[in-house]
Amino acid sequence: MSLSAAFNIISSSFAANSAQTAVVSNNIANVNTPGYSRQIANLVTNSFGGADVVSVTREANAALADQVSTSTAQAAAQQAIADGLATLAQTVSDSSSASTTSGADQNGASPSAMLTNLQSALTTHETSPSSSSAADAAVTAAQNLASSLNRGSAAVANVREQADQNMASSVATINSLLSQFTAANNAVVTGLQAGTSVASAEDQRDSIVTQLSHEIGVSTVTAGNGSMSIYTDSGVTLFQDTARAVSFTPTPTLVDGQSGSPVTVDGVPITGPNSPMPLQSGALAGYAALRDSLAPQYQAQLDQIAGGLINAFAESDQSTPPTLPPLPGLFTTPGATSLPSTAATTGLGAAIEVNPNADPSQGGDATLLRDGGISNPGNPAYTYNSTGAASYTSRLQQLVGAIGATQSFDPSAGLGSSASLTDYTNASVSWLQAENQQASNASSYQSALATQATSALSNATGVNLDAEMTNMLNLENSYASSAKLLTTVNSMFSALLNAA
Amino acid sequence: MTMTANFVSSQFLTNSMILPITQAQSTLTTAMTEESTGQYADLGLQLGDQSGYELSLKEQVSLIQTLTSGNSLVSTNLATAQNALSAIGASAQTAMSALTVWTPSANSGATLQTTGQSALQALIASTNATSGDEYVFGGINSAVAPVTDYYSTPTSAAKTAVDQAFQTAFGVLPSDLAAASISASAMQSFLAGPFAALFSGAAWTSDWSSASSTNTSAEIAPGQTVASSTNANEPVFQDLAQAYTMLSEFGGSQLSGAAQQAVASAASSLITQGQDSLTNVQAALGATQSAVTDANNSMSSQSTILQKQIDALDNIDPNATAAQINSLTNQIQMAYELTARLQQMNLAQYLPVP
Repeated sequence: MSLSAAFNIISSSFAANSAQTAVVSNNIANVNTPGYSRQIANLVTNSFGGADVVSVTREANAALADQVSTSTAQAAAQQAIADGLATLAQTVSDSSSASTTSGADQNGASPSAMLTNLQSALTTHETSPSSSSAADAAVTAAQNLASSLNRGSAAVANVREQADQNMASSVATINSLLSQFTAANNAVVTGLQAGTSVASAEDQRDSIVTQLSHEIGVSTVTAGNGSMSIYTDSGVTLFQDTARAVSFTPTPTLVDGQSGSPVTVDGVPITGPNSPMPLQSGALAGYAALRDSLAPQYQAQLDQIAGGLINAFAESDQSTPPTLPPLPGLFTTPGATSLPSTAATTGLGAAIEVNPNADPSQGGDATLLRDGGISNPGNPAYTYNSTGAASYTSRLQQLVGAIGATQSFDPSAGLGSSASLTDYTNASVSWLQAENQQASNASSYQSALATQATSALSNATGVNLDAEMTNMLNLENSYASSAKLLTTVNSMFSALLNAA
Repeated sequence: MTMTANFVSSQFLTNSMILPITQAQSTLTTAMTEESTGQYADLGLQLGDQSGYELSLKEQVSLIQTLTSGNSLVSTNLATAQNALSAIGASAQTAMSALTVWTPSANSGATLQTTGQSALQALIASTNATSGDEYVFGGINSAVAPVTDYYSTPTSAAKTAVDQAFQTAFGVLPSDLAAASISASAMQSFLAGPFAALFSGAAWTSDWSSASSTNTSAEIAPGQTVASSTNANEPVFQDLAQAYTMLSEFGGSQLSGAAQQAVASAASSLITQGQDSLTNVQAALGATQSAVTDANNSMSSQSTILQKQIDALDNIDPNATAAQINSLTNQIQMAYELTARLQQMNLAQYLPVP
């Protein structure tokens, strides 16, 4: 071996050393970058016997990365549902501190508490049938109940509209992430073809997938040329060589019974009842579940309660034999001329009101509650108290009884087909709080899983500062040795030249 | 560089304390709220599908409270009615005593008349007794005075009817001198016939009473409804009114001693009959009063049990929460300490500066 060959080896050692130092510096610089995978310089002996850095690879763990994106998507879906349900639960969460109240009145504003207050007010009115203040109090309690159902319905509409807006912004985020992904994926594919380092492009690609999984549940497949394809968790292609168009038309106002439009990928719906492959996870799936099934189901229950109230307080023809049909009494909807059937209650929760004929503030007469004839004060056929007796209580007793009497409900609202109004209203609260509890628990659980998976991934592919420092010390030593070697070879050359 | 199970990324090491700290802090906030209120911070979230059950317990408590406060009104009305009935009984007793010692030879008819008139006035006043603004003997027609004043000016319908009946039977008014010729037996049959008819059926409800024969009813306990009053159409009021009216109208009249004796004995037998029905009415109202008391007692103990059930659902265990707050505080302090130490555990700190 000639001395000049030794020079070549030393020079390749310097080159390899600086390449490795660059990798270590890069690792240290990114010690706190989330999603950064530590890089490794791969050394190979070259033709002179020296060392060359042939490639820089990244420490990757596809299994853990998948777990991170799956649990992130699940956590996001449950979080979206939990947030929406918590908003709805606020309209019924009046239980706190209610037991510390001294009076008979329930705190809060839930339909359940308002129904109890109405029942109390009617019972009090029954004890003092001639008292106009007791009659007014009962009408006020009825108004509170009606507005509590109105408020609940408004909250449902609000939650659905919010979910619709969130779906729109989620879809915008997905499309923007997919176009970023296109660029990063192209960089990986061309980099691999050219043989340059693709580590940072791969990092970027993985980070986009994680961000994407927050919005929509995805799974990924990497092809032989390094190109990654993205599918939704239900199997619809989102990216394969090119990004697919994700589209959504927002519906700004969603009234009871109106359904929002689905999210489509290449024209295939991925949310809603008509989707062949419905999305399972990600915030988008959570918003869709909230908008299309959970909130409408609660609305259906509110509508059933409203319909049940109108029927329970209906007035019938008191003539013998009765010839006229029963009409809405204390509770009605604007312009109603007949009683609603249990199967057609859509929109009642938002529309229910106290009949103006019984409302003193609208020129009505609250004593009609005792006497009957709220439905049509001009028609004596609907008057129960035909003698006008001041202590007539039969009608009030009927009304109190009607609140506790079993009546039929539409089973499609999910609370059975037969119950008393009180029980049905309570069951609706139970249903909502149970869904709320379940979503909240699932959200905490999935968040914990996501955190764990992220930690595991960080431990598997992240940077340890101490390890990098140790590498750096190694590199320092090898640099010092190479320098020493260079000086030695140089002095050998000098000795040789001087001898000549 | 090797990747082993022991490998820990520096980022994880730095962040590892953040999540436990934030979790412990949020749990601590909740625990402190619960400690101060004694109840779960978010009951709906805590109870889940038991929320409806908890609400139904509260509804029962609320219903019991409403019924109990309503019962105090029912009790007041019943007590007013009982007092009025006692007064009616007392004046019946007074009239009866006066009649027992009365004889046509020793006393004048004016005594009969005075006894009858004062007793009738007392009866009318007692029958029109009110509780609040409700007439307690009005039945469900509680807004109108049950009986009209017999002695009113212009002449009441009841007095006109009595005069007309007498005129029809004997062709004269009681104040007419010719009335002296009416025999005791004729008087007896008049009192038992046309006169008695004025105090029952349609004549009673048109001339005397505005009360409804339907009694008020009240729900005194969940599902327990009782008749909470009696009304002026009961026989006791009719019998006594009849007795007092005959004394008042015919006592001081021109009737013969024998006829007056017939009036006095008819009146005393009616008063006795009235006293019997009075006892029945008093007993019926008394039974309602004790039913109200029983209902209140049982609802009170029921309410206590229900409240215990509600507390069991709503309330936290204060000792457990206090212990939890203590251990959370320790955990947070420990986490702060660890974070500071982990910051020191860094190779760069120990390498000599070149």
